[in-house]
Amino acid sequence: MTHPDGMAVAAEAPRPRRRRLTRAAIGRGTVPYLLILPVVGVLGALLAYPIYRLVILSLQKYTLFELIRHKGVWVGLDNFSSILHDQVFWHTVLRTVIFTVANVGLTIAGGLALALLLVRVSGWVRILLTSGLVLVWAMPQVVAVQVWYWMTNYQNGVVNYVLTQLHIGDFFQHDWYASTFSQLSLVTLLIVWGALPFVAITLYAALSQVPRELVEAAEIDGARPRRVFLDVTLPILTPVLLILTSLSILWDFGVFTQAYLLIGPSHITPGNYLMSIYLFQEGFQKADYGKGSAISIVMLVIVAALSFFYVRKMVRVGEVE
Amino acid sequence: MSARSARRTGWNVVGVAVFVVMVFPVFWMISTAFKPTDEVNSQTPTWFSGHPTVQHFADAIHKPFFWDSVKNSVIIVLIAVAISMVLAFLAAVALAKYRFTGRKLFIVLMIGIQMLPGAGLIIPLYVVLARYHQVDTLTGVIVVYISAVLPFSVWTLRGFILGIPKELEEAAMVDGSTRLGAFARILLPLVAPGLVATSVFAFITSWNEYIFARILLNDQSKQTVTVWLSYFLGTSRNTDWGALMAASTLTAIPVVVFFLLVQRRIAFGLTAGAVKG
Amino acid sequence: MRLRVVAVAAMAVLLGLVAATASASPQRAQANKLTVWLQVDAQSGWPDVVAAANAQFQKDHAGWTVDVQYQNWGDHLQKFDATLAGGNTPDVIEMGNTEMVKYMAAGAFSDLSSFKSSFANSGSWLKGLAASGTYGGKTYGVPYYAGSRVVTYRTDAWNKAKIKKPPSSLAQFTAYAKKLAAANKSVKGFSPVYIAGTDWYFAMSFVYDYGGSIAKTQGGKWVGNLDSKQSIAGLTAFKNFFNVASKASKTSDENHPAPYDVYSQGGAASIIGPGWFSCCVGTKYKGVTAQFVMPSHTAGQAMPGFLGGSDLAVPAPSKNAALAADWIKDFTSTDAQRALQAKGNIPNATNLLGTSVNERAATRSWFVPAAKHWVDVENGNILRNMLAQILKGKLTVKQAAASASDNITSVLNGS
Repeated sequence: MTHPDGMAVAAEAPRPRRRRLTRAAIGRGTVPYLLILPVVGVLGALLAYPIYRLVILSLQKYTLFELIRHKGVWVGLDNFSSILHDQVFWHTVLRTVIFTVANVGLTIAGGLALALLLVRVSGWVRILLTSGLVLVWAMPQVVAVQVWYWMTNYQNGVVNYVLTQLHIGDFFQHDWYASTFSQLSLVTLLIVWGALPFVAITLYAALSQVPRELVEAAEIDGARPRRVFLDVTLPILTPVLLILTSLSILWDFGVFTQAYLLIGPSHITPGNYLMSIYLFQEGFQKADYGKGSAISIVMLVIVAALSFFYVRKMVRVGEVE
Repeated sequence: MSARSARRTGWNVVGVAVFVVMVFPVFWMISTAFKPTDEVNSQTPTWFSGHPTVQHFADAIHKPFFWDSVKNSVIIVLIAVAISMVLAFLAAVALAKYRFTGRKLFIVLMIGIQMLPGAGLIIPLYVVLARYHQVDTLTGVIVVYISAVLPFSVWTLRGFILGIPKELEEAAMVDGSTRLGAFARILLPLVAPGLVATSVFAFITSWNEYIFARILLNDQSKQTVTVWLSYFLGTSRNTDWGALMAASTLTAIPVVVFFLLVQRRIAFGLTAGAVKG
Repeated sequence: MRLRVVAVAAMAVLLGLVAATASASPQRAQANKLTVWLQVDAQSGWPDVVAAANAQFQKDHAGWTVDVQYQNWGDHLQKFDATLAGGNTPDVIEMGNTEMVKYMAAGAFSDLSSFKSSFANSGSWLKGLAASGTYGGKTYGVPYYAGSRVVTYRTDAWNKAKIKKPPSSLAQFTAYAKKLAAANKSVKGFSPVYIAGTDWYFAMSFVYDYGGSIAKTQGGKWVGNLDSKQSIAGLTAFKNFFNVASKASKTSDENHPAPYDVYSQGGAASIIGPGWFSCCVGTKYKGVTAQFVMPSHTAGQAMPGFLGGSDLAVPAPSKNAALAADWIKDFTSTDAQRALQAKGNIPNATNLLGTSVNERAATRSWFVPAAKHWVDVENGNILRNMLAQILKGKLTVKQAAASASDNITSVLNGS
């Protein structure tokens, strides 16, 4: 049976592109909308009202009292004003930004290093290492936190024991949760440890797509390994690195579970708040949902600003067609 | 030759060392699960128990609602992942292959939604679900998980589809089929690894999710595995560390198994679209 | 082919709709179901008491079932808030006694004053517990059970250090601690009395023992009182006792690690905690474990102990308030209280009190300020932080107390 479209292609052979687009404008116009309709439908049905509510709540006084009566009190931008005038907020933002930079940096650098390692080892070591990474990736967050806490606990943690045995120092009953720096360093280690598998495996897969010929050609030309990496490999990895970096920024800035549980509810003070913990403490624990909503919006703005550069690049990369 | 193999051995040593360090917490969890309680709490840690016991595993399995929670988690996660993949794939095709007004807006929304702090949405989401009578139901949780996973999946799948070489698609056109027909017959198999990779990610995110499952599910027979685990620590009384480690090991097993099965596919899948952006 | 496109798209839309609005679920709340939220402690500790109450209730109200849903201490309030927002609260909820005021002040509970006489022993409820369930003269919470703190110790270790009987004063206890430390020099990190650094429940006992307090009301406002002379004396006494008696981490709380775990490994000769600690001291020392009441700095008296406990309340949105009150009546009957008492808890009425160490310790007690923002002080770890700073020597007792006091004043008076 003849196809109207097929015939069009055959007949207009010299200039197929233009014709096809013309038809597309009319006939195929509705198809993309139908395709995205389910996603829009689900997300709209579930998230439209909560997001709307989030914005409304941020402009209201809505504590437990108001929650029980299902009625808030309009206060305009008071919530935002009180947040922006709060010293704790600014310190927390700074702390979280530094924390995010450290985490993302270590994750991407570590992941890249691991990926490069995976390329250079023998087959059996590669399988061993990949399986290990998979085991780590598969561990649920709450479980990982418990295990890490258990390993670093004051009374009989194995980390203290090993460090003492290795004569790195006397770590008998060393309290890893005594100072903010120590607490956040542990949290960073935990998060980076959990994030490395995804990044390493993705980068390794990307590395194996780098065409051998290009690498060999560069080497024949006398380029040193570092030059080869920078000039040949890295450009090819760029799209993947962009994705991974922007995702990491999103996740690490807003991380809650690992930080809150590892530091422990009894060690949380304004002195070691991260943004999500600040949100939890000020919004939920104090049952001040208006303020919590305002903090959520502020967090969204900050994260958007932090990842703007990477996201814009990603959107552009895919626009070439 | 020998310089190269020496270097390779060097890297192998590094590789094994990295393996040991990375996997140590997992090893510690499993090893603790087999230790009798006295050893678990002892001041001097032991690497491998002198008197391994499976009592903790028995305790964990016999703790109320273990099998129920495993069943619930499996149901929720499988349905959520399956539906998200279908929906996300369709939307990704639209984004990658068609020009239409509102495309840029849709992309921005997909990224923007991922930037929302989940904590801020818990109460409003709960209210919405309560209105639809979906609180304390598996379907309510499934819908929440689908929404959580969709933006990332759409975004990633778009990348994979963009990575399919145009020549293959055009070859199919000349064949006499429509664009959508071409997708179904030729491109879908090519995107399959990408689908697998994205579904693995969706699987892990859903399986490990805690907060929404906790807030939305009350009936203990409907709870997921992560919520069931939290009961080990929720009491103000005796925390059984051995049993908690055993329970943790048990709950990690399905994910690891699923993972090892699809592991090869992931590597291939992640690259197929990722490298070409 | 166009048909195929439409078919595929329609399928997808249908799937999406099914996912989004699956309200065909048969999970509607049953008409005759009473929903009860109890903490997980009841599930593992006294399930028989729960079962008995359910059976009695179902006998009295034919056609009704009781659905008990167990909660964790860590997130049960977040869940409760969600149900308050969604309008589907449980009919009965167990609340910690320090959690009550905030919710009573917000109007979260139904007034149970008219049912008070039907609750067993309500005429002689423990003052401290009953107070936590009262607001504005009305009863919103029914005392469920209480707990106090005692000293659990190893008679073998004490005998070895030539200590004959429990101390009658703080000074004597301190001397004993020194003896125990000397006798156990070979055990690294040994604590004569294991006390967690930020165990504020124990530390504040010292404050109240010396006549101080955490906060008091002055002209309708709350004022932090930790910087008063008596409070500072108490804090200093705590610091001195800790330094002699405990090798625990100065920043750890009283649950991490569990003191009885340290005890069972031979890391402590005594521990401070609830009476039920004796359950979990490990096989090695089970036979040589005994308890006594923590002595005051004044000889012959008990140091005031923190009276922990739980209340049972009926959330205001519940449509079954009368039935909920009836279930509470069944669950706090004299028989039920006796059963709880047998499991090491303190019953809710003075006429039921026995002479166990646990109950003797409850005779002299203290409680947190009855302020609706008290939970914010707890959640903000203000007291814990203060103790950590004092013990680590970062601040003097005076400085730390002054700073904490100011903090408490502003938090308690917050809107």
